[in-house]
Amino acid sequence: MPEDLLKIDELKTVFRTEAGTARAVDGVSFTVGRGETVGLVGESGCGKSVTALSIMRLVADPPGRIESGSIVFEGRDLLGLSEKEMRKVRGNEISIVFQEPLSSLNPVFTCGEQIREAIALHQKLGRRESRAKAVDMLRLVRIPDPDKRYSSYPHQMSGGMRQRVMIAMALSCQPKLLIADEPSTALDVSVQAQIIELLVDLRVGRDMAVLLITHDLAVVAQMADRVVVMYAGSVVEESPVEELFASPAHPYTKGLIDSLPKLGQSLERLPMIPGTVPDPLHVPEGCRFSDRCQERFDKCSVEPPLFDLAAGRRARCWLCEGSEG
Amino acid sequence: MSGGRSLWSAGWARFRRNPLAMAGAITVLVLYLVAILAPALTPYDPVSHGDLPQMRHQPPSKDHPLGTDKFGRDVLTRMVYGSRISLTVSFLAVALSVILGSIIGAVAGYTGGFVDAVLMRMVDALMSIPRLFLLLTCIALFSRSLLLVTLLLGATGWMSTARLVRAQILTLKNREFISAAEALGAGSRRIVLRHLIPNALTVIIVSATLRIGLIILVEAALSFLGLGVPPPTPSWGMMVYEGREVLLDAWWVSTFPGLAIVVTVVGYNLLGDGLRDSFDPVRFT
Repeated sequence: MPEDLLKIDELKTVFRTEAGTARAVDGVSFTVGRGETVGLVGESGCGKSVTALSIMRLVADPPGRIESGSIVFEGRDLLGLSEKEMRKVRGNEISIVFQEPLSSLNPVFTCGEQIREAIALHQKLGRRESRAKAVDMLRLVRIPDPDKRYSSYPHQMSGGMRQRVMIAMALSCQPKLLIADEPSTALDVSVQAQIIELLVDLRVGRDMAVLLITHDLAVVAQMADRVVVMYAGSVVEESPVEELFASPAHPYTKGLIDSLPKLGQSLERLPMIPGTVPDPLHVPEGCRFSDRCQERFDKCSVEPPLFDLAAGRRARCWLCEGSEG
Repeated sequence: MSGGRSLWSAGWARFRRNPLAMAGAITVLVLYLVAILAPALTPYDPVSHGDLPQMRHQPPSKDHPLGTDKFGRDVLTRMVYGSRISLTVSFLAVALSVILGSIIGAVAGYTGGFVDAVLMRMVDALMSIPRLFLLLTCIALFSRSLLLVTLLLGATGWMSTARLVRAQILTLKNREFISAAEALGAGSRRIVLRHLIPNALTVIIVSATLRIGLIILVEAALSFLGLGVPPPTPSWGMMVYEGREVLLDAWWVSTFPGLAIVVTVVGYNLLGDGLRDSFDPVRFT
């Protein structure tokens, strides 16, 4: 087990709305080891992105607020840092790549300038040196003709290229943790594969941990070492990637895996999980998944704890009671 | 979006195809050239009196194409020098109000909450004060000087820019590239100055250009009321004022500076409209 780089403990992030308090992240705990790739999986609206923004301390306040918990990164609790100290962490030690590559770039500056700015924010370099480094970063993310592309504006580039630019910006200061929030969701399928491949390659030899947020289990299977499954603001299962796909412990994880199309299987319709993620304003009593669960029984009216199973696996389901390792 | 090199060059291409906008741009350019080259354009002195009384109120002639005023001074010469006052005062006053308004509007829009509420109520309060009376009071309290007039015009004109910029910032600040810049570790000042204001720049420039015309009119009105630049420095508003007693006998004294004001204001408005039509992103997305 690698040493912990990031340790999130009982994180609670809420949004105060006129309709009430939405508990978007409700007691999430997990760790990311040095150089490890962790997939954070779940349907839309289950709190993955809010967890990511909480790590960066970028939750819009108001209406959002990190209520309690701790986020320890390299021995420091990020929640206790001043805004000024936090700015030195962002983009330097922890970087994030967002889902939407067009709107994540400033339309009035060239892509190269924006990478240069990311470098200049954290490193004392002359104009020429930082420019050269920005061109190197463009080359690193395999943008053809990087010298010329330095002066291209975002609207002159394709979606895939723009996402490469975002990755170049995120990696420009050699962060120890990269948070990739649905990095390939907004792209064409063929380009998705290229971006994931790029991330896989860039991770190697950089000693960089990746927190990969996605609802796409195929991407997780390809990239992640370990998987954290979230549902309705809490962690329901945590497992090394092979074990998760071989024998999912939580009925929700089973449902997610079953709803993937499989090779050699011809079905009229893919199986799916009935119902939707509960509204964070009205989280159900007991097990949050119970009203969609095929296997519910009497005990499910009480919220289960995370049971520690064998080989670093954990699951929040009463079915796992008694099989702790 | 077309593959033009940038927002600016695409806008410039549109601008060049718009004849009215080009007419406005050329008018403004010529006016600035006239103001800069004034001493080279006319042989007369704008201030010193001619041979009284035979030189006073001479009609337009070969020597004095636009006639002379009651002190026998060449009207064309005074108009040429007067352009310096109108253009300088209006440019500096608008620059001041645009800088103030942009910063206050951007801070209000980006910070939001309490700061925003306080700043915007301040704008509401200042906007409810009749501007001309404020100017008259201040000029009456202090002395008449070019600097004071410029500062007052600038300091009383920033509110509409602040509102405009704030509205722009509100639409921009929730865009992802602002979160992305924050995620890279950029501070608030950097976000406002480098990411928000440049994206609102076209709107700011357009409104500034349109405001210059307005400021020229206010300056002329102040001079007409005898509260602008102190005489004998020529300014268009004062020249119109000086000619009003003899409008029927020596029409040229008031008419030509009046025309100069009209041409300048129209020129700036055409330029401003043209810039808006060519650069305002709302019209092309």
